[in-house]
Amino acid sequence: MIELVNVRKIFNAGNPSEFSALNSVSLNIGENKITVLTGPSGSGKTTLLSIIGCMSRPSAGRVKLSGREITSLPERFLTDIRRKTFGFIFQQPNLIKGISVLENVMLPAYPLGEKRSHLKEKAMKGLDALNISGKAMAKVEWLSGGEAQRAAIVRALINDPSIIIADEPTAHLDTKLSYRFMEIVEKFKTEGKTVIITSHDPLVYQSAVVDRVIGLRDGKIEGKPS
Amino acid sequence: MRGWIEKQRYILDFTLSSLLRRKVKNFGLLVLYALIVFILASMMFFTYSIKKEASLLLKDSPEIIVQKLMAGRHELFPLRHIETIKNIRGVAAVEPRLWGYYFDTHAGANYTLLVPPAGGKIGKPASKTAVVETDPHDRAAEHAGQPLFRFNDVALEPGTLIVGQGMARARHTDMGDFMPFRAFDGNILSFRIAAILSSESELVSSDLILLTEGDFRKLFGIDNDYVTDVAVSVNNPREIATVTAKISRLLPDSRPIIRDEILRTYDSIFNWRGGMMIVIFSAAVLAFVIFAWDKASGLSAGERREIGILKAVGWETSDVIQMKFWEGAAISLTAFFSGVILAYIHVFFTGSLIFEPALKGWSNLYPHFELTPFVSLEQLTTLFFLTVIPYTVATIVPIWRAATIDPDTAMRHSGE
Amino acid sequence: MRKSTLFFYSLAAEIILLGMLLVHASLSASQPKWEETANLVKTLGLTDLCLFTEARYTRHLSQADLNTPFQDHPLSLEHFPSGSFTLPPEGITKDHERLD
Ligand SMILES: Nc1ncnc2c1ncn2[C@@H]1O[C@H](COP(=O)(O)OP(=O)(O)O)[C@@H](O)[C@H]1O
Ligand SMILES: [Mg+2]
Repeated sequence: MIELVNVRKIFNAGNPSEFSALNSVSLNIGENKITVLTGPSGSGKTTLLSIIGCMSRPSAGRVKLSGREITSLPERFLTDIRRKTFGFIFQQPNLIKGISVLENVMLPAYPLGEKRSHLKEKAMKGLDALNISGKAMAKVEWLSGGEAQRAAIVRALINDPSIIIADEPTAHLDTKLSYRFMEIVEKFKTEGKTVIITSHDPLVYQSAVVDRVIGLRDGKIEGKPS
Repeated sequence: MRGWIEKQRYILDFTLSSLLRRKVKNFGLLVLYALIVFILASMMFFTYSIKKEASLLLKDSPEIIVQKLMAGRHELFPLRHIETIKNIRGVAAVEPRLWGYYFDTHAGANYTLLVPPAGGKIGKPASKTAVVETDPHDRAAEHAGQPLFRFNDVALEPGTLIVGQGMARARHTDMGDFMPFRAFDGNILSFRIAAILSSESELVSSDLILLTEGDFRKLFGIDNDYVTDVAVSVNNPREIATVTAKISRLLPDSRPIIRDEILRTYDSIFNWRGGMMIVIFSAAVLAFVIFAWDKASGLSAGERREIGILKAVGWETSDVIQMKFWEGAAISLTAFFSGVILAYIHVFFTGSLIFEPALKGWSNLYPHFELTPFVSLEQLTTLFFLTVIPYTVATIVPIWRAATIDPDTAMRHSGE
Repeated sequence: MRKSTLFFYSLAAEIILLGMLLVHASLSASQPKWEETANLVKTLGLTDLCLFTEARYTRHLSQADLNTPFQDHPLSLEHFPSGSFTLPPEGITKDHERLD
């Protein structure tokens, strides 16, 4: 489903601080699979994830999504693909303060101009599925870490994306919540979604639901896929 | 289309929510903005109405006034020049005018003393007593002789005055009271106030004191051969320019003032080039530039982070720009309409309360007048374009920076 | 209620209020209440509005000559505030053409 060919990412090219974060990464990620990228901090996991998720462009190489080359598309199309195809779960919940949980959850759908009653219903259903519908009207500042992350997950799902991308999702969660997160991920899979997670948390990459673990080190893929 | 409207409403919802997050700051901004619009709109309403009122009230003022100048000063006008002017072809009549100023040390006020032209009769008949403030004792005198001037059936007779409302206020006098004057020779002359001019006419008559020619000359010691100036009327209004030119030629020491100049003088009153006006204007413009600059000069770290998140969750740069547009539009539209509405109330319902001290200046006699609300839609539109548009643009401008915020910033610098 | 709805309602309310004020303006402007005053101007041969009484050149704005300012009010302090709202009368220099 997602194909990366010789992807490189060089930061600050031409500067003395030039840094090559990804070196010729080639990778194939299957549809409806749970893939985990692991590796030490600074190995390029987040960088790779942002390239896969159309958030940034590779310095060289090609990225194909369902056979379609997306590396050279203009920003507008990339945003459109990102919005419809990907749901993002960040290391931090990255919720916007001062507005309610419900509004935060609906945010990605605003530019699509959907009817508000539909959208609200969808958002409430999503919140309900993760047992936080009671907090819909609460301000995000009042949420606990686990609640905030679940709100962020509902937000990632609001446009019904086919690919879920999560960057270190369990970094700020305790063991119990981390297990809870992996249950949610499993549910994604049964719903037919593709999931890509970065993590150096054994609880994640050793989980039974994971289909494939890819090791990354110094911007290169380590060893052979398991 | 439905989708587009819904999208704008969503974006507006979000914008308003984020404005409400920084309540104090944004509310302060709104108040300051509305205040600037209020001041500018008040000035606009006030000056436009004054100008309009002046053009309506002064449309029948004398066609030509001829003054005499001597050594750069306005001098008494010799009666013998009247014949010279009368002989000019096209001149219908030459009316001598006697008027001057009197400073009342008691009230600290300046009055305008004026001798009404012969046969002048103004006001309504006595039957309409609602507006008439006449002295009942004066009725008997009415039929004796030929009064020089009447106001609402009150004749102006030697030893009496007809005064304006402002003058009566400044002196706390009423009809029937006596008003002492110090004449040119030090003698005290006392006149009785026979009538008070209507309050509707205050915009032209507030400080007037009307008295007879004899009294005027006695008070100021003006020789019978002289008057203050003369009013010239012409047969054909189109000949005013030629007549004026002839007067200038025949009487080189005279200064003719034509009605058109009077009207144009009032057309340029409160012009933005006037000293105080330029101060107010530049203060308003400066305040505006400062906060527009504050807007344009950048996005706070918090805002950058927020825009990063929005882009990460799928907002395009254009959506972010629309959000900023609504932010500018919401604030500036609210400020504009509130400011204009308050300005209207201020100028036309409270009599320009805030401007009063500046308009009063050092004077102790200030006319109380109700401005007729003339509103120029053109000026309102101009004000709209000068306030709402620049502010909205200034809000959108820093967005070019936002366009450079990569969506993946949301994935990094995640700690706060 | 949605915030955008609330915003549009309040904006509409302000626009309606302003509209009503403009109607008020056109109604009061159509009542010729200045007829009587204009009549007084005509009868007495008045030339100026009585806006400021503090100085000769602002009381009779159109009659001011080139040299009036600074010598008027018996307690004249300096320039009068009203002087800063006004400009010299129209055509004040027209009789002072250049001779060369
Ligand atoms: N915008 C950037 N400019 C320069 N270097 C960067 C930038 N973003 C990431 N890097 C560097 O790229 C390397 C990989 O980063 P990242 O993908 O975040 O690693 P990981 O997520 O595996 O910890 C790190 O050494 C980081 O310092
Ligand atoms: Mg990382």
